[in-house]
Amino acid sequence: MPVRELSSGIYELDIDDRKMLATKNIMPGLSVYGERLITDDDTEYRQWDPSRSKLGAMVLKNFDIPLEADSTVLYLGAASGTTVSHVSDILTDGLVYAVEFSPRTMRDLIQLCDQRPNIIPILADANKPQSYAHIVEQVDVIFQDVAQPNQAEIAAINSKYFLEEHGHLMLSIKSRSIDTVASPKKIFKEEVRKLESGFDIEFEVLERKELDPFHEDHLGLVAKMFVDDEE
Amino acid sequence: MTGMEFTAWFGKIELDEDGEIRDCELFDKNPEKLAELVVELHDNVQAVPLKRADLREAALESGFVDLDEDYDILLRDVCIRAAKSQISQTDTDDSRIIQAVEALDDIDKNVNELSERLFEWYGRYFPELDMTGEELAVFVSAYGSRANVPDDHELSQKASQSMGAELLFSDEELLRAFAKNICSLYDTRRYIENYINTSMGSVAPNLCNITGASLGARLMSMAGSLQKLAAFPSSTVQVIGANRALFKHLRSKAPSPKHGIIFNNPAIKNAPWWQRGKLARALASKISLAARTDFYSGELDPSIKEALEKKLESIRQANPNPPERKPEDKPQGKGGKGGKRKYRGKGKGKNTGGKR
Repeated sequence: MPVRELSSGIYELDIDDRKMLATKNIMPGLSVYGERLITDDDTEYRQWDPSRSKLGAMVLKNFDIPLEADSTVLYLGAASGTTVSHVSDILTDGLVYAVEFSPRTMRDLIQLCDQRPNIIPILADANKPQSYAHIVEQVDVIFQDVAQPNQAEIAAINSKYFLEEHGHLMLSIKSRSIDTVASPKKIFKEEVRKLESGFDIEFEVLERKELDPFHEDHLGLVAKMFVDDEE
Repeated sequence: MTGMEFTAWFGKIELDEDGEIRDCELFDKNPEKLAELVVELHDNVQAVPLKRADLREAALESGFVDLDEDYDILLRDVCIRAAKSQISQTDTDDSRIIQAVEALDDIDKNVNELSERLFEWYGRYFPELDMTGEELAVFVSAYGSRANVPDDHELSQKASQSMGAELLFSDEELLRAFAKNICSLYDTRRYIENYINTSMGSVAPNLCNITGASLGARLMSMAGSLQKLAAFPSSTVQVIGANRALFKHLRSKAPSPKHGIIFNNPAIKNAPWWQRGKLARALASKISLAARTDFYSGELDPSIKEALEKKLESIRQANPNPPERKPEDKPQGKGGKGGKRKYRGKGKGKNTGGKR
């Protein structure tokens, strides 16, 4: 079976001429949310459905994904862990801090953490990074998928506390959770502007693309914290 | 200048002004105790210096752990324990009521379907029987075949002269079992209703006083919790449950919904259409007030209800007659560009998007 590595730890399998996104299962035999497991030459892959994962969609939209096997990641808005499980597959030698606010979804996420050694669950509000600053170390990547009206602000304040100097911010912006009525294009423009100059830290936006057809009215974005060298 | 102190999950760190570690007082390596501390620090947020040493480095340098892997393993253990204990604390009084009220809705939906099935099924054997719902279920589970209806029963004549087919014994047993289950669902429904009535009285006495137990519980359920309901502005409370109508209004020029689920309050339901919007606004404002009193003090304050009654009465007296203009004519919404707002049906076509 032809296998192509799209990015570190992220693969495209070719099964009967149909392409499929997947990660190598670090817990062989265990399927997390009912996804397909495919074995090829002693390696087990887990199918990754881009329409259920913003990160998966970003991969297929040809983003340059800044995740490496030994990255440390702060994942805001982990939900029940669908995407987190794939991040955990990618970070064979790394760690993901999974922040989720809802106790109900945390219940599912914890089951996942019990299975996997490299996920640290945190039940907290991403608006208040001080409430988990005693747990989270400096990270290489912040991935955020929180669907809150103040998404940009949450990203900025978390970056301020936890992002390494040359770390990356990956963001999924849902226009509907900012304003249900205004046009998505306008909202995206405004959010990007906010990230570039709206806060006391600045970002350099490296890539931005809409995530359709996998997710409607969502913008994917990869940015780097802008470091002022004079200081 | 002195530095700052910062408590990490493994110890108290003293930092100098550059964020370098000056001193570190380590905690015991007891995962259970550390988990308690992690929760404590989450609930009572400390001031966090922006410039601070990396936690992992600090833990390694101060000798709390020797290896990177040990840090991961212990931190994971601690955080899983902390999250689990936080989750177990979320079973609050209002969350129980919300589960109950949602169970009630589920039962309603299912019991209606099952009752209809029983009606169709049993109707083949006793079509003259003029019963539905619980009454029918009780009858079927008690007698089964109409041949079993005793002579002194008021329906015995109907039963003996019925055009219905004969009921085989095996089918009769099946139907009786089916009917019995429906009966028990009706029983459970009453059980849950009682539960909601009694617990609403203690969890949200004021809300219960204003809206009644069932509507109050529904409002909490739709808001998510008593806290969230208390935090909503009353204009939101007024249209909770009318989501479709509300978003239609926001997106297009549709008129705004006047009431969501609070329509089910008799004060609004029984009011003439031209008063409903005004009454709903008054009711919603008192609901907000009641929810806030419940959440923050928990004491019953009868003056809220009195004030509401007064307000409702004055609205009724101020608007005894229907307005002359069509209600849709009044300027409303954005800018009033004289757009083509669609008139809804026959004047009294109320927007009952929130009606169940």
